[in-house]
Amino acid sequence: MTARAIWVAAAVSLAFAHGAMAAGKAEAGKAKAAQVCAACHGADGAKPSAPDQPILAGQYYDYLVKALADYKSGKRNNPIMKGFAASLSAQDMEDLAAWFSSQKSSLHFQR
Amino acid sequence: MHLRISLVLALSWTHAALAQQPAAPAGDAKAAHKKVQMCEGCHGIPGYRTAYPDVYSVPKLGGQQAAYLMKAMQAYKSGERSHPSMRGIANGLTDQDMADIAAYYGAAK
Repeated sequence: MTARAIWVAAAVSLAFAHGAMAAGKAEAGKAKAAQVCAACHGADGAKPSAPDQPILAGQYYDYLVKALADYKSGKRNNPIMKGFAASLSAQDMEDLAAWFSSQKSSLHFQR
Repeated sequence: MHLRISLVLALSWTHAALAQQPAAPAGDAKAAHKKVQMCEGCHGIPGYRTAYPDVYSVPKLGGQQAAYLMKAMQAYKSGERSHPSMRGIANGLTDQDMADIAAYYGAAK
């Protein structure tokens, strides 16, 4: 392998790692979740209080960030979640996503 | 007095109506086997992400609450949720299809 190929491989793997890794801080997300999300989704997002509310624990980080951002913008049009998301900063959303995505639940990849 | 009773009745009725899911047929996970083929193209690939410009992982469905999955598909059909692929797919689903698919993924532990 040439030096150049090594550099390219390193850059690609770094970019990939960055995309896959959570930018949010799970501990900050845990504290925020206790205030905002826990009543309906459970403190760790694994035990929603009603059957039509989603399990968040173990969901993909970037999907959770996207969902929160869409609730705030109104692209995802749910009045209850819009109210909660409106109070969240972009950092809050990343923190919450880092917290919930790193928790365990029945949620799993299913073909 | 009558007003109070009516209020209590009205509230309890509202509560019961809210607690119930929108009338949904019972889902049959076995009947979903042919119907989930269209889901697998994206949700059946580990770590699959949506297409440019909004790139993010398509959500995990296995083990999710069936009633939530049902609601999500209905929201795509109604336009409350706007993802183009999901809107297209949900438009072609009956309530029975959605219930079967929700049962299939929801039952997966």
